[in-house]
Amino acid sequence: MDSLPDAIVQYIISNLTNAKDVASCNCVSKKWKDSTPYITRLYFPRSIFDHLSNGQTPDTVVLKMISSLSRLEELVVYCRFTNIGLASWLLHTGTSLKSLELRMDDLVDQNTPTNGPSKLECIQAARNLESLKLWGVLMMRAPKWDVFKKLNVLEIVGAKLEDSVLTEALRSTPNLTHLVLLGCDGLRNVNIELLELKHSKLDFYGSASCSLTLKAPKIEHLEIQGSSWIKVQETSCLKNLSIANSAGRVYMVDFGKLMALESLSIRGVQWSWDAVSKMLHFASEVKHLYMKIEFTGDFEALLPFPEINFVDFFNSHPKLKTFDIHGAMFAALCHKNSLKSVDSSFVIPCLEEVVITVRSPLNAEQKMSTLEALVKFGNNLKKMKIRILQMRSAHCSVDDFFEEVCKFRFMNHKLVSIE
Amino acid sequence: MTSSKTIVLRSSDGATFEVDEAVALHSLMIKHRIETGGADSTTIDVPEVTGNTLSKVIEYCKKHVEAPNSDDLKSFDTDFVKVDQAVLCHLAKASYYMNIKGLLDLSSKTIADMFKGKTVEQIRETFHIKNDFTPEEEEELRKENSWNLFV
Repeated sequence: MDSLPDAIVQYIISNLTNAKDVASCNCVSKKWKDSTPYITRLYFPRSIFDHLSNGQTPDTVVLKMISSLSRLEELVVYCRFTNIGLASWLLHTGTSLKSLELRMDDLVDQNTPTNGPSKLECIQAARNLESLKLWGVLMMRAPKWDVFKKLNVLEIVGAKLEDSVLTEALRSTPNLTHLVLLGCDGLRNVNIELLELKHSKLDFYGSASCSLTLKAPKIEHLEIQGSSWIKVQETSCLKNLSIANSAGRVYMVDFGKLMALESLSIRGVQWSWDAVSKMLHFASEVKHLYMKIEFTGDFEALLPFPEINFVDFFNSHPKLKTFDIHGAMFAALCHKNSLKSVDSSFVIPCLEEVVITVRSPLNAEQKMSTLEALVKFGNNLKKMKIRILQMRSAHCSVDDFFEEVCKFRFMNHKLVSIE
Repeated sequence: MTSSKTIVLRSSDGATFEVDEAVALHSLMIKHRIETGGADSTTIDVPEVTGNTLSKVIEYCKKHVEAPNSDDLKSFDTDFVKVDQAVLCHLAKASYYMNIKGLLDLSSKTIADMFKGKTVEQIRETFHIKNDFTPEEEEELRKENSWNLFV
């Protein structure tokens, strides 16, 4: 190793990213001491400066390391730092920094500095940022940002902010293609307009009935958790959609046509029937469907689902390839009239995989009929998994039901498995 | 397809290896030598690389030229670098001189992975590197890096 030319040593070292390893390399020998200029990604783990002494601060140690690099493109800082430190680092990285990830910890450490711009505002100096990820952000007011023209990816995990603050912050990031907002507290009526947005994952908490209006004509992948009213008008590119609300109700969904939609997941405790039927109606081209909603009902009362006609359901989703349905919704497919329009010409052409989760033994006969219908009319069915969950076994009908299911499995042992 | 022309590569210690031209061209240095050397260049000297290392380099080039899209290319690479640090350093040096980016990246990354989480002493030991700092310089470094438990 000692005989390796400097250029190769530098090339090898440029693969390192953890600041601890970089610091160690600088102490190995004279040749190695100045062999770190080509490192392009630098990561400072959370506990890296737990043992500082001699009047050093994280700010200064990080700055010294950044100063020895000729072109830093990615910086990840999980350890504590101040706004002044951040400003000094970004002054040094200038226009080369493409990706920045910071543990802001505003929510834990609420001391807003009185000296100089806030940490958020300091980020402005990294004009050419393409990706920004922030953990634990408290946004009392929108940061005074100029437009981040190149910013494509924005991820905020753990934030407390108000609607107007979010809207204003997003005005500085018009070219986003990926937007992730997780664990965002304080939002009530979210209005997002991002014309280049392709992927988005939005998770609101705090208020269980947040409303969301999204204008993103290029959107392809969308996940929403914690919203009660959802309006997404332009959805001609939408391929994957997931809507869930584990804390509150889903009252209303307003989507444009979902002609490109390939996979749909709808989950929650309670959805209004209007919302459910609208989603199912628009998602006619869907290939993968996941449904796990416990109850329906437009008001406080939790109601069971009305009957769903088996034939209509599968005829209106002819491309369905994988299907995962839970408890109450499966029960709706098993009403006494659900199978009445089945005739010999009926077929479920594309269905290959089905997962059914059953929670109660009620209507056992109907349930068995529906399972049999799936196997009978699903020409391409390759796998059916029946999951039996949380059934109170004090009821003797549970045992009977289980026996029926086992018999069914036995008769169709190539297809069916039980969990 | 054109005829399978072969090239002979000669290492620093005189060992010769006959390889398909396509395989040899994986090294941009050899490619350049052939293109500028004229029609007679069937034997190419590689004085920076010993026979042992050259044979391994050829093995790498063969796999990457003959089956570049195979599913087991990744596992080939992983197994290829399961060698001791001295061999890795020779491979890095050879791929640098012979201008074979894929192999340079692979060997550099593997060597770098061997530094991760090691203390300064451990790095010196693993790679037989001499500590050429003066005691004063060493003391200075220790002070500056006292936060790094790996020092």
